[in-house]
Amino acid sequence: MKTVLRQLWFLVAKDLQIEARSHQTLGLVTVLGILILVVLGLGLGRQELASGSSATAVLWVAYLFSGVLCFEKTMSVERQDGALAGLMLAPVDWGLLFVAKLIGNLVLLGTLVIIITAAGVLFLGFNVMAGFWPFVIITSLGMLGFAAVGTLFSAAVSSSRLAGGLLALLIFPICLPLVITSIQMLLSVFRDANEIDSSGLAILIAFDCIYLVISWLVFELLLEP
Amino acid sequence: MTVQATTIMPSDTTTDELGTQSIPAIKAIDLCKIIDDRPILNGLTFQIETGKCTALLGANGAGKTTLMHILATLSSPTAGQLNIFGKPITRSSVATRREIGMIGHQSMLYRDLSALENLIFFGRLYSVDKPAVRAMDLLHRVGLADRAPDAVRTFSRGMTQRLSIARALMHHPKLLLADEPFAGLDVPSVLAVEQLLADLVEEGCTVVLSNHDVGRTLQITDHVLVLHHGQVVLDTPSGSITELQITEQMCRGPEGMGST
Repeated sequence: MKTVLRQLWFLVAKDLQIEARSHQTLGLVTVLGILILVVLGLGLGRQELASGSSATAVLWVAYLFSGVLCFEKTMSVERQDGALAGLMLAPVDWGLLFVAKLIGNLVLLGTLVIIITAAGVLFLGFNVMAGFWPFVIITSLGMLGFAAVGTLFSAAVSSSRLAGGLLALLIFPICLPLVITSIQMLLSVFRDANEIDSSGLAILIAFDCIYLVISWLVFELLLEP
Repeated sequence: MTVQATTIMPSDTTTDELGTQSIPAIKAIDLCKIIDDRPILNGLTFQIETGKCTALLGANGAGKTTLMHILATLSSPTAGQLNIFGKPITRSSVATRREIGMIGHQSMLYRDLSALENLIFFGRLYSVDKPAVRAMDLLHRVGLADRAPDAVRTFSRGMTQRLSIARALMHHPKLLLADEPFAGLDVPSVLAVEQLLADLVEEGCTVVLSNHDVGRTLQITDHVLVLHHGQVVLDTPSGSITELQITEQMCRGPEGMGST
């Protein structure tokens, strides 16, 4: 177990070290996220956004599109020069490669969500403090399921020539229950000033559990050097 | 002269000239691989002795790289059985992967990490003792010690290839699969890598070498396996065959030898 945890740490640390050095993922996805936010914000107008109903949806659109690009970029690092084959050759359970990549993606997604939400507060007048903890819980659960699906499918399609478009086509329909539930729950909190809906929370937790387990099991079958 | 592909020995051990028995490094029985309904490997049966350098030769598309991937556990055969050091191999053979090193067509390195960071990272995954010391030792052996702190993306093709060789040797593999290891190397580097491979065999490592330079390969290997359309058409000691005969086998398959 100690060896597995050490290997997991080395794999995650390597991903973060590469990102810290190149800034190739976070820099790009942050710019894309903020652009989406600004463009949609301008389109909807400040009055529409002030209610908080549209702002949560706009934020999720920015998370989703930036997130897909994030998954694509982090997996492309493994495809460059066949580095993934180097990992597959190592005496590491291939399921651990999924867990490491998932953690790396979650760290980047978490940073992305913080930056985009801050930009939402700034540009859209989104009052995150009106339901800060519900927002943190709902978004965290949403991002966990989104990252599980994204990490799995980015590995599956990264060797394809259509990687970018194909990834979005696969991820968005699968994440639809997650996105709808998250947005509905956020609307309930920010627009209607309700508490967190427990049935919605159960759906998010169930989605996360199902996709974490399926992704972990299927990941090694989809890996090709 | 007619050279037949050898038949597989029924037992899992081979007996050398001194009468001592050893487990073959690789034993393949009826290995098949079909990709997109196209047979790439067609019932390969062969074995490779431990501690020897074996050449894997064949024209482009003969199935060399596919076979290398299967031997490295990166890919599963569609049918057939494969044993490495006596253990049956599947894609999840984590313990056996510890014994295998591979030099492939790609460097399998991270271009944003330095040469030293790459080697230390892979060394840690293999639980190598003192990975930094081992990494510097290998960087000296491949002539890259002075470039240790530099990012791989600043390296030339030849330097990247030498670093890739160091990566493959980081964990002291008992079986080294070298798929065209001389690609992109200049003549002094080729000689240095040849010497490195000879040293490894001297130390007891089994080397499987795929290369397009048949004449050169015959000089540095003990045994030759020639593939043609996914089948073993020649399995013979390197000293018992000429470059011309091998080239004919590579081009024309089993009937190539009969015409000479």
